[in-house]
Amino acid sequence: MNNKKLVVAALAGLICVALAGPARAADKIVICALTFVSSSPLFIAADKGYYADEGLEPEFKFFRAAQPVALGVASGDCDFGVTGLTAGFYNLAGKGALKIIGAQSRVEPGFDFVAYMASNKAYDAGLTSVEAYPGKSVGMTQVGSTFHYMMGRLAEKRGFALADVTLKPMQSVPNMIAAVKSGQVDSILMVAHIAKALDGAGAAKIIGWVHQETPWQLGALFTSTWNVTERREMVEKFIAAYRRAATDYHAAFNQLDKDGKRTFGEAADALIPILMNYVGPKPTPAKIKAGAPFIDPDGRLRVQDIYDQVAWHKANGLVDDSVDPSAFIDLSFVDGHYDVPGN
Amino acid sequence: MAEETGQTPVPFRGGGFQPGARRWAPWAAFAAIIAGWQLASSTGLLPPLIMPSPYEVVLALGHLAASGDLTEHVGASLSRIAWGWSIGTLAGLGVGFAMGIWSLARSAGIPVVAALFPIPKIALLPLLILWLGIDEAPKIATIALGVFFPTVIGTYSAVDNVPRSLIRMAQSFNLPNPAIVWKVILPGAMPGILAAFRITSSIALILLVAAEMIGAEFGIGSFILAAGNLMQTDQLVAGVVLLSILGLTISFVLGRVEAWLLNWR
Amino acid sequence: MDLFVQGVSHHYGDLQALDAIDLQVKGGQILALIGPSGCGKSTLLGIMGGMLQPTEGDVVAAGVPPADSLNPFTYIFQDFALLPWRSVAGNVALALEHHRLDRAERTARIEAALVLTGLRDFAAALPRQLSGGMRQRVGIARAVAVRPAILFLDEPLSALDAQTRELLLEDLLAIWQREATTAVYVTHNLDEAVRVADRIAVLSRRPGRIKQVMPVEIPRSERGDARHAADLAALHAQLWDLIRGEAAVADRELADG
Repeated sequence: MNNKKLVVAALAGLICVALAGPARAADKIVICALTFVSSSPLFIAADKGYYADEGLEPEFKFFRAAQPVALGVASGDCDFGVTGLTAGFYNLAGKGALKIIGAQSRVEPGFDFVAYMASNKAYDAGLTSVEAYPGKSVGMTQVGSTFHYMMGRLAEKRGFALADVTLKPMQSVPNMIAAVKSGQVDSILMVAHIAKALDGAGAAKIIGWVHQETPWQLGALFTSTWNVTERREMVEKFIAAYRRAATDYHAAFNQLDKDGKRTFGEAADALIPILMNYVGPKPTPAKIKAGAPFIDPDGRLRVQDIYDQVAWHKANGLVDDSVDPSAFIDLSFVDGHYDVPGN
Repeated sequence: MAEETGQTPVPFRGGGFQPGARRWAPWAAFAAIIAGWQLASSTGLLPPLIMPSPYEVVLALGHLAASGDLTEHVGASLSRIAWGWSIGTLAGLGVGFAMGIWSLARSAGIPVVAALFPIPKIALLPLLILWLGIDEAPKIATIALGVFFPTVIGTYSAVDNVPRSLIRMAQSFNLPNPAIVWKVILPGAMPGILAAFRITSSIALILLVAAEMIGAEFGIGSFILAAGNLMQTDQLVAGVVLLSILGLTISFVLGRVEAWLLNWR
Repeated sequence: MDLFVQGVSHHYGDLQALDAIDLQVKGGQILALIGPSGCGKSTLLGIMGGMLQPTEGDVVAAGVPPADSLNPFTYIFQDFALLPWRSVAGNVALALEHHRLDRAERTARIEAALVLTGLRDFAAALPRQLSGGMRQRVGIARAVAVRPAILFLDEPLSALDAQTRELLLEDLLAIWQREATTAVYVTHNLDEAVRVADRIAVLSRRPGRIKQVMPVEIPRSERGDARHAADLAALHAQLWDLIRGEAAVADRELADG
C-alpha cells in the first residue's frame, strides 16, 4: 500500500465517522426494551398514541439481552428501560446512575409465567416435584439472573440449601433448552410459553410454577437519575402514558375467572395484533397469551420485595454490600406502591 | 575554524531504525499506565461507573485470594488450557507435518483448513454441547479447536521453510524417510513451530472465556463472565488482570523454551 | 568403481538442460566438469549420483564398492548443507547414525574424519560459530566418514573467498594425495579444474552437450612445479577459448528469459 492509498483510506474512515454521529432531537425520548410480551405496555402506548397525547415522540431501541438495556439507560443512550431485576441490575443501580420509577411484570398467584421444568430423564428418576430438587443440577442463564434468584427463593421456602443443587450457567435460553432436552442438566426454569411448548412436545416436564411457590416483583421500569432530576416533567408525562397502556393491558391479560383460571376476552384479542408487531421472534396469538405476565395496571411496585431481593443477593455475594435500595427507587412518580418499608 | 581551514565535518546520517532492548522500559510502561489510571480515578475524571480504580481491582484480587477461590479459578482454567492446548497442538502438528510432506495431504488439507479456520469457535458451542455434554469435554474441545488450525498452518509453513538442500543432503546420505523427518525436518521446522506456539497460547487464553461460558462453576473465564453479568466491574477487571498475568507467564516460559531449543541460531 | 553416463538428456518443462550426454568416470580418477553458467553441470552431477531422474538415458556403475563404504555415491555441496542445530561431530555423525556400526567404529570414523580435515578441536562447535572454510571442511569430513566409492563435488569452493578457497583446495589435494579417490568435480573455475582433474569435460551452453574431454597429463602432485607452469597455462587458455564465447552470452541473459 503506498502513501496515497493510506491517505484515501484515512479520509474515507473520517467521513464514515462523521456521517455516523447524528444529532439527537430534544423532544424525542428513547425507549429501550426487549421484544418480549412483558414489555407490552410500552408497545401499546406507542401504537395507541398515548405518548403523542403527552407530547412525546418515542423512538424504540431493541436489545437481545437485559444487561444492555440497563447499561443504555445508565449511559444516557436510553431514556427509559424495562427489564427483569437481576443482581447485575442492582449493582449497576448501586452506582447511582439509575432510578426505578414503576413496575413491569410481577410473578402473581394464578398467572403462569415461569415454570420449574425437569428433563425427561430426571423426571423418570424422581424429579416430579420441587421438593425433589436437592442433589440435582439446574441450568440457568447467568449467575445473578432472575432464574438464579427464583431458585434461591425456592430453596429457602422448601428448606434446602441452594448449595444442594448444582447451578450451571448456560449464558442463553436456547442453550438451557438444549441442555434440558438432552438431559445434560436435570432441570431448568423457563418462561411459560416456551415451557408449555416443551412440555407439550414431550421434550421436558413442567413440575411446578414459581407463582405457586414464591411470587415476586420480577420486572421494573427505570430511567436515568439525570432524567429524574433534570427532566422531571418529561418523566411524569411518560409515566402517565405508560400507566394508561398498563391499564389497557390489565383489562386484557390480567383476568381470572371465578375458579381462579386465566381468561382472555375481546380486549385481549384487540391488543394481540398490536403486540404481534413488536414481539419477536414472530409469535402466534396463542404464544402471546401463554407468555403474557401479570403487569400492575398502575405501575405500582411491591417495594418491600425489592428490598428483600437486594438482601438475598447481598447474602449470596452477588450484590455489593454498599448497594442501598432506597437510593435507587423513586416512589414519587406513582401513587399507591405496595409494601413500602417504613423509615 | 571550519571557515578558516575550509574543512567541514561530514555529517552523520546513520543510526536509528534499530529498536533494541531497554530492561526498565516494560516496567516503566506498566507503572505509568497504572499510575495514570489511578490518578484519573482518584480525581473523578474516570467515574467508577465507567471503570474501577486500580486500587479497587487490587482489593478485588485480594478478596479473591483470601476466599480461596483464586486457586480454584486459576487451577480450573490452567487444566483446561493445558489439556485443550496439548490436544490441539498434537493434532495440529500431525496434520501440519502430513501437509508439509505429502502432496495429497497438502492438496486436500489447504482448502479444508481455509474453510474451517475462520469459523468462530464460539458459534460451534451449541454443537459441541450436543456432542460432548456440558462438563469438561466441550471446554477442552473449544480450546483444542482454536489451537488446532493455527498450529496446522504454522507447522506446514515451517516445514516448507526447511531448506530443501538439507533434505537433499540427507537423501544423498541414504537416510531413511522417518530419520529425515525426525532429524532434519522437525528440528528445521522448530523455529516456525515455536512461533506458532506463541500465537496458539494466546488463542487458548482468548478462547478461555468462550470455553467457560457453558456450565462452568470455576475458571477465570467464568469468573469474568459472571462479574460482567453482575456488573461488578472491579472483579471483571481483576479477572482480566489475571488473564494478562497468565499470558505474560506463558509468554515468558515460551521465551525460555525458545532460547533453549533454538540455541543453535 | 567406474561410472558410465549413457545418452542422458534432461528437460525442465520445455527447457532442455542436457542433450545426449555420454561420459565415463574412471576409477581412481578425478573428472572435472566445466562450462558456462546454465550449462547444466549441476544437473548432470545430480543425475550421476542418483539425486535426479534424467528424462532420457541412464547412469551405470561398474564394479563393487569397497567393503567399508557406507554410502558409495556421496556429495559435497556448494552451500555445505550442514544441520545448523548439530555440532561439527554431530553433522558428521548424521551420515553414520542409520548404519549398523558399533559405537567404537562410529566414534573412530568420526574421529578420523575430523582429524583428516583439521576439525578435531572444533568437534563441539556449532556451524554458526565456524567460518565458511571450516564449514566446508565439515562437509568434507562428513563425506570422508562414509568412505565413498565416488565423490561428487558440486562447486565445493565457490561460496568461499579467494584466500579460503586456496587453503581448502590445498587441503583437498593433500587428502587426495594420501588416498586415491574417484571423484566428479563440478566447477566454473578453470584454475581449480586444471589443478584437480585427471580429465576435464567441457560442456556447451544450453542445452548442455559434451564439447570436449581433455586429459591433464601432468601428475597432480607435480602441477605446482614451475617447469609445468607453461603447459598448464596453455591448457587454461585452451579451455577458456572453448567456453569464452558462450560465457559472454550467458552473462547477458535474463534469469527467467
